[in-house]
Amino acid sequence: MSVVQPAIGIERSGAARSSLRLRIENNPFSWLVPVALMLGVFYLYPIIDVFRLAFTNATLLGRDEIYTTATFKALLGSPELPDILMTTLVFVAASVIGQQLFGLGIAVLVMRGERRKLKGMTALRTIVLIAWVIPGIANGLIWQMLFSEAPFGAINSVLRMMSIAPVAWLSDPTNAMISAVISNVWRGTAFSMIVFYAALKAIDATLYEAASVDGASSWQRFRHITLPQMRPAILVNSILITIQTLNTFDAIISLTGGGPGRATEVLSLFTFNAVFRNYDLAGGSVLSVLMLVISLVLALGYASMLPRREASE
Amino acid sequence: MTEETREKLWDYATYLMAILIALFFLTPLFWLLSLSLRAKQEMFLGASRFIPKHATIANYLKILSDPTFVRYLWNGLELSAIGALGCLLVSAPAAYAFSRFWFTGKSALMMTILAFQMVSPLVILVPLYRYMSWLGLLDSHFGVSMVYIAISLPMCVWLVKSAIDNIPKSLEEAASIDGCSRFGIFWRITLPLAAPGLASAFILILILNWSQFLVPFLLITTDSKLPISVAIFNFAGSSNASSTQVLAAACLVAVVPAIIAFLLLQRMIVGALTAGAVKG
Repeated sequence: MSVVQPAIGIERSGAARSSLRLRIENNPFSWLVPVALMLGVFYLYPIIDVFRLAFTNATLLGRDEIYTTATFKALLGSPELPDILMTTLVFVAASVIGQQLFGLGIAVLVMRGERRKLKGMTALRTIVLIAWVIPGIANGLIWQMLFSEAPFGAINSVLRMMSIAPVAWLSDPTNAMISAVISNVWRGTAFSMIVFYAALKAIDATLYEAASVDGASSWQRFRHITLPQMRPAILVNSILITIQTLNTFDAIISLTGGGPGRATEVLSLFTFNAVFRNYDLAGGSVLSVLMLVISLVLALGYASMLPRREASE
Repeated sequence: MTEETREKLWDYATYLMAILIALFFLTPLFWLLSLSLRAKQEMFLGASRFIPKHATIANYLKILSDPTFVRYLWNGLELSAIGALGCLLVSAPAAYAFSRFWFTGKSALMMTILAFQMVSPLVILVPLYRYMSWLGLLDSHFGVSMVYIAISLPMCVWLVKSAIDNIPKSLEEAASIDGCSRFGIFWRITLPLAAPGLASAFILILILNWSQFLVPFLLITTDSKLPISVAIFNFAGSSNASSTQVLAAACLVAVVPAIIAFLLLQRMIVGALTAGAVKG
């Protein structure tokens, strides 16, 4: 390595400057300035502003705003909100449970295959992961082509070939929700799978050996070793994917657009419509605050369930 | 039944499950491919023409010869790449500090940064839309890239930190003894050594940026500045039953770059993802 900054040979006036420079360089916080600036300008300030706007009557059309709690009361008391929250709850809960179970199942399967040195396990892992890199908008459009009730709809045309009556996947409210969940699970499972796969790999193999010596069945090994060891990973993953699903927007807007009626209008879509369709900036801000509060409560709720050891890391 | 025959039976069951799972994940993509290769007449035959009798690449020729469509692809790539590169530049010093300095409140700060990831982009876009309009940053790729950078920062800081954590400190100490300044060490030694980790973070963020929809959808108004993700959404809205085969081709073209990037660098990405997932 070449000498980069010779301490000697700097002229006197430069010495003071270089000691200042040293002080800056050795202070960890000066290294954090770029990140703090970016997050401050593009995250913290907008978040604070969302709280401020929630107490105004602001619109995107830009008239003078006054401070009021009327927007807050109007939105929280609106008859639509309970339905929207219920839709959101169903969508998020079903997606999260589906992604976790499916993700865990695939991770266990891949691990078993690898232990038995079966071929094709990496390929399986790759296939699952491909769905994850597909843009949310494309995800919605692709599934629309599968669920479509038009002649090119994949699922219905297969049903027709088997002489089964076609199903109204997207035009029936209940089915539309099921369709939205399926498409979301298709794209989201990969993340859970990779988290669980990494957690499974980290489990000490001697635990299983000891259990085998004690004559534990494979179900007992799964129940008493795998699951307890996976607890932290399952909890962390729950937080991450719950919040991800709560924020899901693109995949739903391109699959169902919130319909039929409002059957799949989740909170994020409702917020979007409030601001950018109805120009109701204040109302959208109230809903944004609601989204933030729900995320925060979820995160704290899950975090409190984490074992101490994990929390301190 | 002996242990070995039982395991053999389980092997078959594993394969059966693996095939079913693979089918579930691949069918949507094969369907997309099938539709995109059809002429209008064969669209109405649905699944009975899964392999089109008169396969045609006309749909691809149609979109790829459209200069605006190529423009959308380029916009998507440009925004994703600038977003990912900017993100690395901003997060690398912070990641270095988190990896190499010890100070009170460090883990709390790291958790705070991660907490921003819990905030939906929709929440920040509500007020940002107004500010960016005041600042004249609406409808500009610069403004959109800045928001991309901010959105992927939390994950990027954590990814780069774990990459720097893996570099032995002895090399930096040697340079320090040689009189290298702290920043010089960071720039000339730590970052080059962390290059594989930086590269995997770059690719991962590039792929995630490629999926960005909400930010460009709201902040860009000029059609020719839109990235591909928004363009295919707009196209889907304007298309009808007789142009679904073209939409399928457009979708596939939008999806393929992300898949190729992922396949080429799969090992790196999975490594970064699992490192981030286990720690984060």
